[in-house]
Formats: sequence, C-alpha cells, structure tokens
Amino acid sequence: MRSSPPTRDPLAGKLPVSLITGFLGSGKTTLLKRLLRDPGMNRAAVIINEFGEVGIDHELVASSSEQMTLLANGCLCCSVRTDLQETLRELFIRRRAGEVIDFDRVFVETTGLADPVPVLHTLQTDGMLGAQYRLDCVVTLVDAVNGLRNLDDAPEAAKQAAVADRIVITKGDIAAPGAVESIEARLEEMNPYAARTVAVNGEVEVAFLRDVGPRSARAAAGDLERWLAPSGEGHPEGAYLGRRVRAGGHDAAIKSFCLWFDQPFTWDGFSAAVQLLTSLRGPDLLRVKGLVNVTGERGPVLVQGAQHVFHPPVTLEAWAGDDRRSRIVFITRNIAREAIEAVFAAVGALSAQSA
Amino acid sequence: MASTLPGIGARPDQTLALNMKLLSHHELQGFGGIGEGMGMQLARDGRRILWLAHESAPKNFTAVDVTDPKSPRVVVQTELPHAKVRSNSLDVVGDVMAVAYQTSAVGMKPAGFDLFDISTPEKPKLISHFDASGPHSRGAHAVWFVDGEYVHMASGAADFQPTHPSDDQFYRIIDVRRPSKPEEVGRWWMPGTRVGDSTPPPPRHPQFDSGFRAHNTNVFPQRPDRAYVGYISGGAVILDIADKSHPKAIAHWRYSPPYTGFTHTVLPLFTRDLLIVSDECVYNDGKDWPKLVWVVDARVEGNPVPISTFPMPPVRAFAREGGRFGAHNLHENLPVPGSWKSEEVIVGTFFGGGVRAFDVANPYQPQEIAYFVPPAPRLSRAGAIQLNDVYVDDRRLVYTVDRFAGGLYVLEMTV
Repeated sequence: MRSSPPTRDPLAGKLPVSLITGFLGSGKTTLLKRLLRDPGMNRAAVIINEFGEVGIDHELVASSSEQMTLLANGCLCCSVRTDLQETLRELFIRRRAGEVIDFDRVFVETTGLADPVPVLHTLQTDGMLGAQYRLDCVVTLVDAVNGLRNLDDAPEAAKQAAVADRIVITKGDIAAPGAVESIEARLEEMNPYAARTVAVNGEVEVAFLRDVGPRSARAAAGDLERWLAPSGEGHPEGAYLGRRVRAGGHDAAIKSFCLWFDQPFTWDGFSAAVQLLTSLRGPDLLRVKGLVNVTGERGPVLVQGAQHVFHPPVTLEAWAGDDRRSRIVFITRNIAREAIEAVFAAVGALSAQSA
Repeated sequence: MASTLPGIGARPDQTLALNMKLLSHHELQGFGGIGEGMGMQLARDGRRILWLAHESAPKNFTAVDVTDPKSPRVVVQTELPHAKVRSNSLDVVGDVMAVAYQTSAVGMKPAGFDLFDISTPEKPKLISHFDASGPHSRGAHAVWFVDGEYVHMASGAADFQPTHPSDDQFYRIIDVRRPSKPEEVGRWWMPGTRVGDSTPPPPRHPQFDSGFRAHNTNVFPQRPDRAYVGYISGGAVILDIADKSHPKAIAHWRYSPPYTGFTHTVLPLFTRDLLIVSDECVYNDGKDWPKLVWVVDARVEGNPVPISTFPMPPVRAFAREGGRFGAHNLHENLPVPGSWKSEEVIVGTFFGGGVRAFDVANPYQPQEIAYFVPPAPRLSRAGAIQLNDVYVDDRRLVYTVDRFAGGLYVLEMTV
C-alpha cells in the first residue's frame, strides 16, 4: 500500500491466463479431471475442449447450462464453442454482468496437436482480450512413456515443451525405470528455464500452474526470478546463473540460452534489434522473455514475445536489486546463440556477454 | 452462450469485484446513509480521519479513523437540529471543515454552511455559521473548500428569487479568510433564472426537469481563475472568476435534451486538456437511463467537445435490482494532502452499479479497469446497494458510501 504513480498498473489489473498444453496422450484429461475437483480452484474459470471427455460427476455440479458448469468447489468450467477468443470475451462480459462467478484466473486447455503460439498471439493482438487478460504461463505436459519419442518425431510436441514456463511430467508411475530421468535430461537441454514437476496419477499442486508471470509493475525480485529463471528455485539465489547450458546433444534443433548485457540499451536500439530478429527469423524465435535496462526508464522493462509477436513492453516501477544488467531468455529453433548475439552487436546495440 | 446460467444470474445479494478488494466495512453505528460529502484529515497526531456527511437527518456528520484501513473506528458522530435539514456535503482543509445545510423547504433554518475547528477530531468546535436562508432559499446543497480561503458552493440566498422554484441554488463564492466572519464576494447564476433578469427563463426539460441550478462548483489551484460547475439541467459551465465579484461564463456545454439532464460534476484534467463530466441518476429502475460520465476535449476552452463516454455496466444486469443505477460522484482529485490525484485513472460511483475505476490514458476509448459492487445492505429500503460517493486516498485506498444503510466500505484498488 505504499504510494504509487496515479496511473494504471499495466499488469495488476488483468486476469491471468494459464495455458495447459501437451501432446496427444500426455495426460491432459486426467490432469484436468483432478484439477476440476481441487479445492484450490475456487474462483477459477477453466475452458476445456469438451465436457464429455472430462466426465464431470453429477454430485460435483452446483449448476449448469449447455456450455458452462459451476462446480461445487467454486470452479467455473466451460467448453469452447466456436473459438477461444469468443469464449474469453463472453466470459468477461458475463462476469461483469454478474451472470457467472467473479473468477480471478483462467485455465485454458489447448488441443493435443495445437501449436500453443497462436493462442499466445490471440491474447496480445485482440484488443479487448489484451485489456482484460494477460498470459500468466504456459504449462506443458510431457509423458514419460512416449514423450521422448514425441519430442523427436513431432514438431508440435517439441514446440510445446520449448515455449513452456512450467513442465509437468506425467505417467512416471507406469513408465520404464529410468524413463523419467531420461525425459528430464532431455527437457533440461531444450528448455532449462521452465520449472518441472512430476505428477503421479495426474495430481499436481494448483500452485505450480499459476502465479508464474509478474503480477504487478511493482513486482518483487522473487516474482521476477520465478518467471524468468525458475530453475534457480530451491538453490541459493542466482545459483543457476553459473550453470552452463549444454550445447548440442541429440540433433536438437531447439536451443535455450540467456543473454546478459552490461550496458543499458536505448529503446530504439533494443527495438531495432528485436525487429531485425523477428523479421529475419520470426518463426524460429519460439519464446523470448526478459528484463531490459533501458536508458531513462525508472525500472527494468519487461519484454516477452513468441515468434513475430511481442507483448507491449511494461516498465516496472523499480529495480529489485543492484544487478541492473539486461537479461533475456531466448528459446529458438535452429538459431545459434552466436547469431542472436551478432544481431545485437550489428545493430549497434551493445555487445552481448554471456552469463 | 446467450442464456443465463440457472441459479447464477446477477442478484442484489451478490458481491461483484474486479481489481478492488474489500478491506473493511463499517455500518456507522446504525446510521449508514451517507450523502456526497467526504473529506480526509491528516490529523496532527498522525491519524487519518475520514469525515462523512450524512444523506439525511437525524445525523449530521460522522468522523471515522481510517489510519488502519482494516479496522476503521468511529471517532465522532453528530446530530442535526431537526429532521427537515440535511448536511449532504462537506470538505476539509487542514483542521477546518465546512459542512453544508439544505432544508427540505424554502424559508427554513439552518440553511447555509458551518465552519468547524476539527483540530481535536473527537470534539469539533463550531467556528461560525454562514446563513443562506431566505424566503426562496433551501440553503446550500454542495460546498467546495480546498484552499482554506474560499468556500465555493451551490446555494440559495435571502435576496435571490428564482423564476422557477427548482432554480433556487446558484454559484456563490464566500470568503472565509476570517473564519469567524464569512462574507460573500461573488455569485453567478444562469441568465433567465432570477426574477428581474433581462433574459427570458430557459425552456424546461420536457421529461426530466431537475432545475437550472449549480451542483458541484470546483476550483483548483492550477487554475485559480476558473470555476468548473455542473449546472444540472443547464449542463457544464466554465466560469472565469479572475475577478471573483464578477464571474463570467466562458464555456457552456449543454447536451440535455436529448439527454436526460442533471449535470453533476465537471472535473478538469489540467495536464491533458480534458474535462470529465458526470451526470447524476435521480430516478429509480433505470427511468432516466443513460446517466453517463463524459470525456470532453477542452483544448479550446470556449468550445468543449465530447469525445467519449465511460463504458457503463450492463443496464439489464443492474437497472431493475432496486433504486438508482447510473453515474453520480467522481473522486475529484482534491488538491489537498492525503487525496489521490490522477489524470489517468478516474473513480466514480454508480449507485446500484457500485464503484468503478476507468483508465482514460486514451481519452477516445476509456476502459473500465476495476469495480466493486457490494451486496444490498441490510435494512436498505432500495433493495440493492446505492453507492453514492467516493474518495481515494494517496495510499490507493478507495472509500465509498451507501446512500441509505450500508455505511462505509474501504477497498484496496489493485490495478
């Protein structure tokens, strides 16, 4: 409740959206079934593909219509009728009219084959949705039985894991011995910036799936760390920084790395570099997220994007600590770290230095 | 998804909230009907005292210690001398408070305003009374007092005979630099509303005639030579008050009819060349819908141009729950310590529509960013919440009051 500028907080007022994605057979339905019964889902809205699949028990239903069901735990479950945009808009309008509960977060199930990136784009390019909702996180389910093969064979599966902020490893209990370890190792190579957990029988803490993205322009250091580098969790702060991301391994086209920049950017310099990258290699920039030190701004500028679409940048109110270096996580397909460093150097932005 | 879910439609007993969190609720000792006077005192002992004017008798005003917003405490609650007078409006500057008095009929007393010394909040001491009673006067409806020197108000006067009985309250400037002896230094009324004017009386609104009279009369230190006046049926008026003894109208924006009248507040956003103009809903059940908040381009002072209105909550969800539904008071960026001042986020009350915050960073497309609609208060005669006024303090806390029974709601705005 400290005093703050009399303007709208660009983050705090928006309803957080968690996207739940995972390849066919990765256990999304099992996880959703559990989630819909979890007391922690009070005041959550869950948008699923089909009611039939999830099989909501009669005794759990408080009231329902064709496309919406209010569950006994206070969770509002609705099915996508035409498209997700329409469903999210309708939900907000009905919330405002008092026709549905005052839900304070949304979980969206994407279809198994779906590329999650267009859904990310929807949230930032649709004016009305962008005003009311914000992406909180992408949660990707990877199953320990077939996951490794899917990552190799199915580009959608690899992409889902690459863009994740959170990864849930499923079916560990029925997989061959060592399978969980192998898939963990593979995911660590692809996307070490996503926190991972292993679900048993589809059970996962609701807390793992929410409150990942910064919730306010007054975000605390811990919140930013949780979003940008959750693998540091549980270690002394910043311990992950020293960890070298292993290069190569398999024939993995997907790479993740964090670039650090000692000198502040001008906004023009930074955006020129990003524009060059997106115009040359947009489709292969699977996910970019970071905190940028921009000359003249009071706090770090939070940037994030997927492929060619970036969210509007948000200036946070203050730096959380002494370290004012810019730091940007890139998850790319067939783009080497050096190539991105070269772009930043070439546009006259300051030379990139590795962690 | 056209149909309403069975059992979970909008109901007067439900709370609706977005980006506003209830910290506390105080029923004010059973007298929870509050008017449109809210002022915050930063007391010398460090307390924050919120002063509230009641909607109607028997209570005059109530002071609430809101230092800890989670546990507000009533500090003092005072009585009116009789049941046919109401205070409705007050303002606080330092340790001095002005309280309006309006009677239910002309010719009664007390009609005008009191000045109180509130340096000891528990014991308000009367400094003086300014008498505005008269054969055609009901006294003062609203006061604006932010500089410690002048009270600007909507009031009748002993020497003022209106051409129509509803046009009795006009704009008056009272010098209170000697608090024990307040004196009128200037006045303005809409031409044609006083007997003896050379201008003929203005035509009445055919359906919603609430009078050609002043409501809020705001003057800010950024423009001490301007008064921003909501003139009810007469629309929004900007007056040049460089010479307080001769206010001159330099802009007059009228939009009713076709709209349904009752211009209430004209709030200038100086750094943005905008005016935020609010109507007041004065009929139940949506009869005078739409009552709006307007965004007006004020770059050319003499030619105000409306460019947008605040997106209103859905009329079908609220209008028939009971009582009024539509715009009313705004947080007016009071130029005093303790008050929140924003030229981008505007907070207002909408009776049954609750309290709502809007982002006007883009003045052509204001966005609703927060709201709180409490359930109908116990014993409220309206059957639904009727949030009447709002004050936002510099801790981003929102104080809002019910017109009939609910008292004070303290909210944290998280947006």
